[in-house]
Amino acid sequence: MSKLSFRARALDAAKPLPIYRNGDIPDLNDCVSINRAVPQMPTGMEKEEELEHHLQRAICAQQVFREKKESMVIPVPEAEGNINYYDRLYKGDFRQPKQLIHIQPFGLDSEQPDYDMDSEDETLLNRLNRKMELKPLQFEIMVDRLEKASANQLVTLQEAKLLLNEDDYLLKSVYDYWVRKRKNCRGPSLIPQVKQEKRDGSTNNDAYVAFRRRTEKMQTRKNRKNDEASYEKMLKLRREFSRTVTILEMIKKREKSKRELLHLTLEVVEKRYQLGDFSGDVLSEVSVPLAEKTVYPAPICLPNGNRHKTENKIKSHKSVPKHHPHNVTVKVEPHFDFVRPHKKYTRRPKLETLRPPSRPERPHTVNNADIKQYDFHSSGEEDYLLSPSSEPDEENDPDGAFVFRRRVGCSYLAPLSEQSSSSPVGLAGTNAMWQRNALTALSVPRRCVGVARRRLGRGGRLLLDRSSADLDRALRHLDPGAFCPFVAPSDAFPLNTDTHMDTCTNAHDPAPFRTHPQRSLAQLLTDIQACRWRYFQTRSLHQNQKEESGKKALQEDDRRGGGPIVTSSSRNAVLGGVQCSSSMTGCSLIVENKLVFRNTASLDTVSKTLDSASAQFAASAVVSTSNKESKSHSPAVNGILPNSGSRQTKFSSSGSSSARLSGASSKPLPAVPQSLPHGHGPLSSVSAVSPAHTHHNSARPCAPSPPALKLATIASSLDRVPKVTPASAIDSIGRDKHEPERLALNGIAETTVAMEVT
Amino acid sequence: ATLWMWCVEIVEGCRLPVLRKNQENEDEWPLAEILSVKDTLGRKLYYVHYVDFNKRLDEWVTPDRLDIKKLQFPKKEAKTPTKNGLPGSRPSSPDRDVVREATLDTVTCKYMTLRICFVICSLNSTRHQDSQDSSDGIPSAPRMTGSLVSDRSHDDIVTRMKNIDCIELGRHRLKPWYFSPYPQELTSLPVLYLCEFCLKYLKSLKCLQRHLTKCNLRHPPGNEIYRKGTISFFEIDGRKNKTYSQNLCLLAKCFLDHKTLYYDTDPFLFYVMTEYDSKGFHIVGYFSKEKESTEDYNVACILTLPPYQRRGYGKLLIEFSYELSKVEGKTGTPEKPLSDLGLLSYRSYWSQTILEILMELKSDNGERPQITINEISEITSVKKEDVISTLQYLNLINYYKGQYILTLSEDIVEGHERAMQKRHLRIDPKCLHFTPKDWSKRGKW
Repeated sequence: MSKLSFRARALDAAKPLPIYRNGDIPDLNDCVSINRAVPQMPTGMEKEEELEHHLQRAICAQQVFREKKESMVIPVPEAEGNINYYDRLYKGDFRQPKQLIHIQPFGLDSEQPDYDMDSEDETLLNRLNRKMELKPLQFEIMVDRLEKASANQLVTLQEAKLLLNEDDYLLKSVYDYWVRKRKNCRGPSLIPQVKQEKRDGSTNNDAYVAFRRRTEKMQTRKNRKNDEASYEKMLKLRREFSRTVTILEMIKKREKSKRELLHLTLEVVEKRYQLGDFSGDVLSEVSVPLAEKTVYPAPICLPNGNRHKTENKIKSHKSVPKHHPHNVTVKVEPHFDFVRPHKKYTRRPKLETLRPPSRPERPHTVNNADIKQYDFHSSGEEDYLLSPSSEPDEENDPDGAFVFRRRVGCSYLAPLSEQSSSSPVGLAGTNAMWQRNALTALSVPRRCVGVARRRLGRGGRLLLDRSSADLDRALRHLDPGAFCPFVAPSDAFPLNTDTHMDTCTNAHDPAPFRTHPQRSLAQLLTDIQACRWRYFQTRSLHQNQKEESGKKALQEDDRRGGGPIVTSSSRNAVLGGVQCSSSMTGCSLIVENKLVFRNTASLDTVSKTLDSASAQFAASAVVSTSNKESKSHSPAVNGILPNSGSRQTKFSSSGSSSARLSGASSKPLPAVPQSLPHGHGPLSSVSAVSPAHTHHNSARPCAPSPPALKLATIASSLDRVPKVTPASAIDSIGRDKHEPERLALNGIAETTVAMEVT
Repeated sequence: ATLWMWCVEIVEGCRLPVLRKNQENEDEWPLAEILSVKDTLGRKLYYVHYVDFNKRLDEWVTPDRLDIKKLQFPKKEAKTPTKNGLPGSRPSSPDRDVVREATLDTVTCKYMTLRICFVICSLNSTRHQDSQDSSDGIPSAPRMTGSLVSDRSHDDIVTRMKNIDCIELGRHRLKPWYFSPYPQELTSLPVLYLCEFCLKYLKSLKCLQRHLTKCNLRHPPGNEIYRKGTISFFEIDGRKNKTYSQNLCLLAKCFLDHKTLYYDTDPFLFYVMTEYDSKGFHIVGYFSKEKESTEDYNVACILTLPPYQRRGYGKLLIEFSYELSKVEGKTGTPEKPLSDLGLLSYRSYWSQTILEILMELKSDNGERPQITINEISEITSVKKEDVISTLQYLNLINYYKGQYILTLSEDIVEGHERAMQKRHLRIDPKCLHFTPKDWSKRGKW
C-alpha cells in the first residue's frame, strides 16, 4: 500500500477497532506515520504550562520508559517530616464504627465558640484566676460574643454587659483586655475569617476575597447572553403587573364604596327634604341611637338649620371637627391632644350625633361621620397611612379621643382648684369674676379689653382670658375709642405651633346674649350682607386689597363696637398654631408674634341671624375661598379672621401653610379630628360647622360635592376648601369646648376673604 | 558579586540565573524572574520564578543565590508586574524576549535611565490593559460554573506569589505551592495550623490545642459512602456544610494553581478520601464535583495532599470519580485546565484503564478481538475524547489496510503489566454506597 495514496478517514468512535498484538502485523512500521492522520487531541493544559521543563521531561520519560522513573518526577516543594507532638496534640482513640458514618444534617453546628484562646489570653487567664475562676471555655465564649457583636464597631462596655452575663469585675477585665487586644489586632476580627465580599463590587478583584455569593441566575443556553437579562426583566414585569392588578382591585373596591356612600347620602338628604327636616331634628333624632356607639360624639351647634346644612356641605373635606361632649368644661386641659385618626370614620359611616341635653334649643347637630362621609380620599391611601396609629380603643376608653396625652417637652401643672371646681354655667357671678380678673387694657393697640385675667400659657405665651359680663358695657366707656373685644397683642412671642392653649375662664355667663338683644335679626343680616358686599371680592384680589378688606372688616367691627357687646364678646381664634380661645363670657387673647386678632366678624351676629341666605353666604365663604386666598388668609382658616396681609405671611409660614402647602404637612391634618364643640352659655346659640377642613392645595379637584350642597344651593365650585387648621390649632380645638365660637367664626371670617360667591 | 549588589537595584521584572538544587541535589542556575523584593531586618529577599519551571517552585531567595553578572533588565515593551498588584502586570512567559544583557559597566551608568524607562513602561502597560478592559465591557467576574479560573487571575501579582509559608496539618507539614486566600493576617505567620479533621485555620499551636478541646470531629463532616480497608470516602455538600467546604478549598488552593475560590461552594459536592487510624479518618485527598455539570465534568478540582503523593492515591481518587460516573450512568471528564500533575495522573489512569480492557479482550470464535471507542467509553465512563487522546498518546491507533486498528506493542504491554503490579490501591465498586441525586429537580444546588 502506498503511503501517497492513503487518505485517512475520520476516526469513527462507533466503528469496531480490531486489536493487533505486536508481531501480528509484520509491516506495522509502515503504519506509524499514518498515525498522524488522527488529529491530536488537546491535553487540556494551559499552553504555557504544557511547555514547562519538568513536565516535558516527565512526558518524555514516560514515552521512553513506559513508566515513571523516580528521577523524572515533577519536583514539588518538599514538606518537613513528622510532627513529634502530634500524639500529644490529637488525643484519644477513635474507633472506627462498623457502619458507614452517616452524619445528621444540621447536627454539625456545635455551640462551641469560634474563638480559640492563644497564649496571650492564657496569661490573662492565669492572672485573673488568682482572684476568681475563669475557665478557658468561658473566656472564649465571652470573646466570641464580643467579636460577633462587633460587626462594624466595637461593642461598648454597656453593650458588653448586656451581652455577657458575668460578674462585673470579670466582665470589665475581659472587656478591657479584649478592647486592647482588638486594637492591636491586624485582622478585622480576633477570629480570623476569610474576607467577605462587599456588595458594591469593590472587592471583585480582591484576591483575598473568596466564596462570593452567586447571584441567582437562570440557567440559559450557552451563547445566548441576553436570555438571562430578558428573563430577569420578565420576572420584574410580572411582579409589577401583579402589583398593578392588586392596586386596581383595591381602587375598584374603594370607588364602589364611595359611590354607595354617595347614594346613601343622597337618599338621606332626599328623605330629609321630603320630611322637611331642614333643621336636622329628624336626622339627629334618628341618629341618636347610633350616637351611642360613639364615645365622643360632639354636638355641633349651628345657628340654624340652614346654616348647618351649608356647613354640612362644606365638610366635604377631610378634617372633621370633633364635638366636645361636655357642655361646660371649666377645667384646664392644657395639653389635650386632639388626635383622632379619621380611619374611624370610614369604619363608621353612620352618623354620630350627640345632642347635648342641656341645650335643647340648639337646632342642629352635626356629627363627625356626617362630615366625614364626604371625605373622599381620591388621592390615595397615604392619608391613612400617615394618620396617627395611636387610635385609642374608643369602645373601652371612656376618654377616647380626649384622653390625656402627655406631650414631649411640656411640663404640666396641676389644675388650680378654683378652676377645676368651677361653677356651672350661670353661677359664676361678677364677684367670682373679679376675684380673678382685673380690668385690662392693651397698650398696643390701645384698647380696653375689659375684665380679663392674664396668665401664661404654654410655651410662654401670654394669654388674656377675658371675662365678659354686664360690666363690659361700662368698661367700654373707659376707652370708648379703643374698646373692642378684639385682642391686640402687645408682645411678640415666639410662634410655637405646637402649643395648645386652653381657655380656662370659667365665668360663663350667658347673660350677654340675653341682655343685649339690641340688634334685630334683620339688622344683623343686613350687616352681614353688607359685609358680603364689602368683602366678597374676586379671587384675584391682590394681597393688599385683602389686607385692606381685612382692615375694612376691622373698621366695620369697630364701628359696630357700639352695638351689642355680645357680638364681639366671644371670640375664638385659632391662628397659626395659636389658639385664642374664649369662653362665652370671655375672650382669651392670644398674643403671638405680633399677630393681632383684631378682626373677627361678629359671629354672634351671624349665629343669631343667619337665615338661609346668610348661611349660604357663610358656607360659600368657607367653601369657595380659593387656595391662594386661603393662603394669604391662612389665619382665617379655622374660623379666624386673617389679619392684614403683611402679618399673615408669618402665619402662613407657620401654621396654615404648613397644613396646606405641602402634602407632607397636610397629611397629618386629616388625622387630627376636629371637634365640633358645642356651644356654651350664650354662645350656645352660636353654632359652628366644623370646619377644620384640611386644605389640600388644589389637590383634590375631584372631591365630590356633597349632596348637601344642593340643599344649600351653593354652587358646585366647592372643590377646594380653603380651610386649614394648623395642626397645633387643631390639637387645641379638639378639646376646646369653645369650639363653636371658633367655628362660627369660620364662616364669618371667610367673608373677609375674597371669594367666589355664586 | 556581593559588591555589585549594592550598586545595582534589582527590581521586579529583572531576570537572572538563580541557584537552586535539582532533584539530584546538584547545583543548577536556571534563569529566573524577580517577582518581588522585600527587606527583612536589613536583608533583602527576592521572590523568584524559575522560567520554564512550574510556579510551585517559586521561592524567596537570598541575594547570594542571584547571579548578578547576568542580570537582565525588563524589556521595554514587557508588561511588568507592578507592586500594587494591578492586573496590568503579566507574568513572564517562557518566550519572553530580553532586550539587554546588562554588563557590569552599563548597569551602573545606565541604571537611572533604565529605571525611568521601566516606570514609563509600566504606565503604558497599565493603560493598555485598561483599554482592553473597557473594550470587554463588563468587568470580568469568573464564570459561575466550574471551579477553575480563567488565566486572568494569573495577571495579579498577589496571586502569583505564595502567601503561606507553611501549613501544619495533623502530623504533616506542608509547603504550599500557590497562593490561597486565607485571612490576610495569617499569611505572615511562619506556620499556619489546621485542625486535621475540620480543617479550621489557627494562628498558633496554642489555639489549635484549644480548638481541639472543642472540636469533636474525627472524620470529614459528611456521609461515608465508601469504605474498604482503611480507605474511606466522605461526601460533603458544599451548600450544607459551608465551613468545611471552604476550609477544604482554602487548603486545596495551596496546591492547585488554577482553582478559583471566587464563588461559594454551593454547587459542589466534595468527596474526601481518608485513611483511617486510631486517631480518626485522616484526609488524604479529595475531589470536588459539580452537582450539575453542563459539560460532562465529573471532577472539578482534584488533589492528593503532598504527603500522600506518588503513592497511588491520586489514581485512586480518579478511579473513584469514574466509579461515581458509572453509577450515574454517565461519562465524565475532569474540568480543564489540567495541571501538569493532573495531566500525568489522568493520562496514567486512562492508559491503565484502557489497556486493562484491551488486554482482557478475548477473541471469540478465533476472530480478532475488536472494540469500539464508544464501548471503551461506556465501560470506563471515560469521555470519548479522553479515550481517543489516550489511544493517540499511547500510539495505539494505526491505519492498516483501509481501517483503523489498535496495536498493542510489546513494550506497551510490558510497561502496563509492570505498572499494574505497582498499583495495589484499587477502588472496589462493591464497597461504594452511593445513590446519585438528581440535583436539577431540587431547583437549587
